[in-house]
Amino acid sequence: MIQESDVLSALKKVQDPDLKIDIVTLKFIKNLSIKGGEVSFDVELTTPACPVKEKLKEESHQAVRQIPGVTKVNVNMTSNVKARGNMSAGAVLPGVKNVIAVASGKGGVGKSTVAANLALALLKTGATVGLLDADVYGPSIPVMFGINHQPEIGADQKIIPSESQGLKLMSMGFISNDDSPVIWRGPMVHGILQQFLTRVNWGVLDYLVMDLPPGTGDAQLTLTQSAPISGAVIVTTPQEVSLVDARKGLKMFQKVNVPVLGIVENMSYFMCPDCNKRHNIFRSGGGRKTADDLGVLLLGEVPIDPEVAESGDAGVPIVMRNENSPAAKAYQNIAGAVAAQLSVVNMRNAGIQSDFKMTWNTVPENS
Amino acid sequence: MNQTIAVPLEIKQAGPAQLGIKWSDGHESVYGCYELRLKCRCANCVDEWNGAAKINRELVPQDVHPITIESVGRYGLKISWSDGHNTGIYAYQSLRNYQN
Repeated sequence: MIQESDVLSALKKVQDPDLKIDIVTLKFIKNLSIKGGEVSFDVELTTPACPVKEKLKEESHQAVRQIPGVTKVNVNMTSNVKARGNMSAGAVLPGVKNVIAVASGKGGVGKSTVAANLALALLKTGATVGLLDADVYGPSIPVMFGINHQPEIGADQKIIPSESQGLKLMSMGFISNDDSPVIWRGPMVHGILQQFLTRVNWGVLDYLVMDLPPGTGDAQLTLTQSAPISGAVIVTTPQEVSLVDARKGLKMFQKVNVPVLGIVENMSYFMCPDCNKRHNIFRSGGGRKTADDLGVLLLGEVPIDPEVAESGDAGVPIVMRNENSPAAKAYQNIAGAVAAQLSVVNMRNAGIQSDFKMTWNTVPENS
Repeated sequence: MNQTIAVPLEIKQAGPAQLGIKWSDGHESVYGCYELRLKCRCANCVDEWNGAAKINRELVPQDVHPITIESVGRYGLKISWSDGHNTGIYAYQSLRNYQN
């Protein structure tokens, strides 16, 4: 007769490689049932984008199969994205479990392309995802998703985000029109970002990817002060002029205590379709070196591919249009790495709620 | 890079004029309200360019106390004081380092 304790002690040998804790202690094992020699259970991961899903499934299967008397093992992989430890129940992004800020020190590194494709790659794993274009002056999301109509207002007076293939989208570009520039000083930018955080009906989201404007200015400060950011992804290109600014972006997040999930090196190299040789157009190894120097992860290297620009301009980002292209594959790996890093930082998360507020009691206590 | 800074686990009134913070590194701080008010680093209290003190101590009442305390992002607290001052952000890192 196989006991539940036998199964659990066998599964204790299976470890989550990111969290470095066994899957029993992590309480991943659900719905364990034993019928004669047949053992069935769910492994509930903290993200559907888990890059080692298959490995964990295989290891769990093997571990239980080795128990004497077991004839059949049914492993069912599920996921339940954990909210950041300090998820807000208040006015700011209620229902959003994790906010991922995609940032860069300088413009032109492909930050919006990375943000859009990262959001889509997360979506494809089965997560619920939103994409907030916080680049008020130069919104790119409308073009990338081919959306140019104004969002509707719901009965609750909240803005209903646009949707593309199930991805919820909000951008300044939906509100202003294509050709008129937004010429605003800081306080106006602050105001619109506050609206995006409190007046958009995002519903329940596992991940909200936030495409930040380049640099370390007003908008970044507003968002790090008002939005409960779970972690930041820094986008850079390989050459030094870009890396200098990437380091500044990284240090900005350090100052405001937002964990940096890692660096994405965009336009990393070009695979020549004719000679099949790798050309390092903007030099090579810069992203890796910066990540190593600053002690963060290199989440991935995205190759230069004319199809990336083409598909972005056509309103269907590469992850959707050609999922087998090298760039799309790079994005899928990056999404897995981001989700894994988020699970790690959420596990470590401690401290007061992000919407903590207390009122001082001026009446002396008589006790 | 992602070294974890100490963050508050609990913020409470430690006395009629004391603010208490229990930190994630196990340390417990108790701040006198008046002293904490004088430590404000905002641009009205400290010159942004040369770091010189601009706060007029004589205008801060001895019995100053917070009205509300709110978190700012993941890194600090905003205190609205009984003397009407509310523009300062007390970063966790500085708060944790004050001797008390």
